[in-house]
Amino acid sequence: MSRYLGDDFILPGLTPNNTPFFTAGSIQIQFCDDCGHAQHPPDDLCYACQGRNLSFRTCPGTGRVESCARVHHPLHPALRERVPYVIAIVSVDGAPGVNVQGNVVHCDANSVRIGQKVRAVYEEAVDPHSGTKLLIPQWEPVD
Amino acid sequence: MHGRAVVVGVGESAYYKHGGSPDTEFQLACTAIRNAADDAGLELRQLDGLISYMDNRNSPLRIADALGFEELRWSSTPWAGGGNNSSATMHLADAAVSGGHANYVVAFRALAQGQFQRLGSGAGLMAGTAPEGLSWGLPYGLMSPAQECALQTNRWMHDHGVSQEALASVSLACYANAQRNPRAVRYGRPLTREDYHASRWIVEPFHLFDCCMENDGAAALIITTPERAKDLPGKAVPIVATAQGKGPEIGLTTFQQRWFPGMYYENVGRILWERAGVKPADIDVLQMYENFTGPVVMALCEMGFCEPADVEAFVGDGRLEGPDAALPFNTSGGNIAEAYIHGLEMVVEAVRQVRGESTCQAKNVELSLAVGGPGYAPGSAVLFGPAI
Repeated sequence: MSRYLGDDFILPGLTPNNTPFFTAGSIQIQFCDDCGHAQHPPDDLCYACQGRNLSFRTCPGTGRVESCARVHHPLHPALRERVPYVIAIVSVDGAPGVNVQGNVVHCDANSVRIGQKVRAVYEEAVDPHSGTKLLIPQWEPVD
Repeated sequence: MHGRAVVVGVGESAYYKHGGSPDTEFQLACTAIRNAADDAGLELRQLDGLISYMDNRNSPLRIADALGFEELRWSSTPWAGGGNNSSATMHLADAAVSGGHANYVVAFRALAQGQFQRLGSGAGLMAGTAPEGLSWGLPYGLMSPAQECALQTNRWMHDHGVSQEALASVSLACYANAQRNPRAVRYGRPLTREDYHASRWIVEPFHLFDCCMENDGAAALIITTPERAKDLPGKAVPIVATAQGKGPEIGLTTFQQRWFPGMYYENVGRILWERAGVKPADIDVLQMYENFTGPVVMALCEMGFCEPADVEAFVGDGRLEGPDAALPFNTSGGNIAEAYIHGLEMVVEAVRQVRGESTCQAKNVELSLAVGGPGYAPGSAVLFGPAI
């Protein structure tokens, strides 16, 4: 799918900790294998038990809009044709306590509401440094 | 109460619209420090400590050399964030002088946004891939503090049934107070509630007038011990208590559920009230950093000034406006209407209130509070007590 804010817009810069989230084509959240704690963003240590046995688990790919905001002032030249657009905080089903950032796509910017159920969709792009295929998570309303 | 450190001098440059300063940022910093030394009755060579914050560009070595300090005994800056640390400058200065590390410590902030880029412009983020740490937001066009605070504020307003009028009231109080202050960049430019609602959206729920300005200018304060202050001509303003910090597992701007929505000021308030032995109702005048109006109303609640259910009444009907307000608030006009010197100009105003020298002077001020920027951790606050 083409990108909500344009195919030339800023891409995630890949790191070992964020590569699963931005490339898997599913919602990848870091869990602690020792205590079961889910955390985001991923880090090198479990924030609940300080364990180092961490792995990514595939979540169902559904969630809920915890907050949203319509952006009217473009802070990047590429966004001048895109405003107003909607930024959102989405809680991830299957990962207790975890919220992620994103946009709510495939709908009117004025229709997005707190509490709305959403499901993940993925924007395709290529990392210019490594050639890695990116599948950037986004969210669309569940009817 | 603590009071083992006192503010003996305050100084400012003129305040300009962003890009309007004829001076470089370094010249602005040196002007504010020289004015603070003159105000204190000190020679520049006597100063021996420097504190700033928020990725300060003006090296303490360059300043100490240029201003002729005989020696430098303390130089420090608090970690992390930005204007959230405006009051943490007093936290560090208090430690420096009450611990005997230095004698006359300067806290300063200077910015010339014509010389350097504007803070909120998003400039420098034009590359193809986001820097590490910013990848969670930038690809989604989530790229400014206004947007981050809007997401926090929208959810909080939704949860507590708070309307846009609460945000408007904060902005209107700042503008009303700035009309008494000839230093204010927005002096002579009164704002009505109709003007507020008619102004353009930046990011909902923030209109243009919900956002701090961008300015050029500098502010400085000089801190010493009460013993040394006895030899100086002016009033000394004691630092009664300071607090800086954060609660558990905040995750900064990653919006995790445990602290979403939140401004991270619950623990700053709790520590401050414990250390000072006072409560919010005891505060005579409040300067609270407005990055945006929403974070101000949220932080008022987190620090215990009121409950979310009561916040519209607490800030409404002019209850924050003017010297006779129920709670005199942002009496110089604050970041929204005086100048955005990243909140240090509001710490200066808090000192001025204790001295009785504000252009919007509250009556019988004994406890004057300055709170750093909400929404970013670690937060900070400083409480000043009766002048000696």
